[in-house]
Amino acid sequence: MIRREFLYYGKKLLVFAASILVLSIVVFYVARLAPGDPLVSYYSDRVEKMSPEERAWAEEKLGLSDPIHVQYVRWLSGALHGDFGISFKYKADVLEVIRGRLVNTLLLGGTGVILIFGLALLLGILCAWFEDRWLDRIICKAGTIISCIPEFWLSLVAILIFAVWLRVLPSSGAYSAGKSHDIADRIIHLILPMSIVVVEHLWYYAYMIRNKILEEVRADYVLLAKSKGMSRRKIMFRHCLRNVMPSYLSIMAISVPHILGGTYIVETVFSYPGIGALSYESARYQDYHLLMLLCILTGAVVILCNLLAQVINERIDPRIRANEAAEMLEVKQIG
Amino acid sequence: MAELLEVKNLSVSFETAQGEIQAVRDVSFSLKSGEVLAIIGESGCGKSVLCKSIMKLLCNKARIKSGSITVDGVDITRYRERDMQKLRGRLFSMVFQDPMTALNPTMTVGSQIAEAVRVHHPGMSRDAVYQRVIALMELVGIERPDERYGLYPYHFSGGMRQRSVMAIALASAPKILFADEPTTSLDVTIQAQILDLLRDIQRKLGTATILVSHDLGVVARIADRIAVMYAGKIVEIGTAEEIYYDPRHPYTWGLMMALPAYAKAGEPLYTIPGMPPNLLDPPKGDAFACRNAYALAIDYEEMPPMFKVSDTHYAATWLLDERAPKVTPPLRGGRNV
Repeated sequence: MIRREFLYYGKKLLVFAASILVLSIVVFYVARLAPGDPLVSYYSDRVEKMSPEERAWAEEKLGLSDPIHVQYVRWLSGALHGDFGISFKYKADVLEVIRGRLVNTLLLGGTGVILIFGLALLLGILCAWFEDRWLDRIICKAGTIISCIPEFWLSLVAILIFAVWLRVLPSSGAYSAGKSHDIADRIIHLILPMSIVVVEHLWYYAYMIRNKILEEVRADYVLLAKSKGMSRRKIMFRHCLRNVMPSYLSIMAISVPHILGGTYIVETVFSYPGIGALSYESARYQDYHLLMLLCILTGAVVILCNLLAQVINERIDPRIRANEAAEMLEVKQIG
Repeated sequence: MAELLEVKNLSVSFETAQGEIQAVRDVSFSLKSGEVLAIIGESGCGKSVLCKSIMKLLCNKARIKSGSITVDGVDITRYRERDMQKLRGRLFSMVFQDPMTALNPTMTVGSQIAEAVRVHHPGMSRDAVYQRVIALMELVGIERPDERYGLYPYHFSGGMRQRSVMAIALASAPKILFADEPTTSLDVTIQAQILDLLRDIQRKLGTATILVSHDLGVVARIADRIAVMYAGKIVEIGTAEEIYYDPRHPYTWGLMMALPAYAKAGEPLYTIPGMPPNLLDPPKGDAFACRNAYALAIDYEEMPPMFKVSDTHYAATWLLDERAPKVTPPLRGGRNV
């Protein structure tokens, strides 16, 4: 048993490592082959006045003169030792640059995912309960419309309304100057970007869970549960939700990267100092080492979430555990 | 014996985009306590809808158009969901056609039976519920119930699942059990076992049973009375003896002749010609007329009323009218089988 578990998770780990390796190669090559001058992010305007010799010297110093595969091997061996290089723009270790910002993104994205997870479930149940009645119709229609609105546009409109016209909420940043430890201030800054992230993604998942529940409500076992005399509420929560949960959990695991992508856009619009805004910046200025680290971090989250979804699907749902349990039963009977 | 269930002139329709489907048309019958009534008919003749409409398990597109349902002296025709919840399980419950899908796949069989026990006995102790579940599992013939309590439906074979569904249906000792083609999706040897079980339980507990089937051979084992349905109507009803030995409706003759027992060696099995009518727009007169070799002119014009053959035996065919020509049934009852 233990050996099988070990093999199971070992296999997943191998898939994870291989995916990250492939990702790093692709990103490394694409970034270097993309047009643009990485020296600009290090030397800014001074690059224009540099002589060819000075340029060559600068490229040599930043390690940009070697062929790409040599650069990659150098980067990889450094990365495996925990050295991800320095950021050209910030002229500091990329880990240092990211550290402060990671918390901001986790705050925005993490809370966003949890809120979406809970609210979508609630809305989905509500819609399924009132199937085809006015409440269900309004929620579904409004949701379709809202989730079709591009995130950046919605953000701009929200800034216009709440920051410019009403002046009740700040339009950008994660905290007011000098108040980085003031929790209330941070929360006020989070409201707008968070609302955009939640409002944009909520409907899709609510709609999905609504349809999943409706599928279950039409199943035969609901008829049997009804004929035993169970109430609709109990059937919904004890039977239907139980069957929806595994697929919902795996949907949510896959949704994390989706929502994360949304967070990046929202961060950029709101100049929210998270890793989303940072990755946009690093891609724009050819800040290679920073870009690599951010891509690998994001990629790792995406791949991890997908693997998690797989594990949930394969392990939590007893229907899928069937074979294993059957084998156990045989062993028990023989013994 | 008092009538336990009395259905009078019941009509049930479904609203669809194409129009109104008249699934059950003007059906009347009654059931005494402890009796087994079999409802026989082709697929789509309204047998299942009839049972589900009595328990009000139909979807919200279905509507009871007219008629009344009286159970235990109480008219439940206008009962709403909340009132029905109190009756379901305790007064009547149901065994479904497909045991593969009738159980919740993600809950253990034991806990699903326990749920049925607890619904009408909310105060029962955990231990008492467990004992009751074990007793129920024994009653329906699940061996080693304590070991199987914690297993999931996918561990069970079709027959065992159907036994579990029966345990659930019997959990609150209902007075009426609807068995909606309980053996259709099982293989033949299991079918016989489940039918025997139904009969045993019915004798042991005295539960009145309505057995829905499309197979006259199946119901012969256990039915006291038989109702033959065609196109949403009961066309003949009588005791099992009367239906098997003295059938009067041409449709019943057709069903009998289609039994393999009547087939002669070397000849193909008899089938009733044609197709059942579309219930979106049922034909005028006798719905069976166009498939009936014995149809009279009046069959195409006017629906036959229920003619009384004996106190217990009724059939809806104009052949029983005194003005009708005498026909010899194609089979001399079931005596020669």
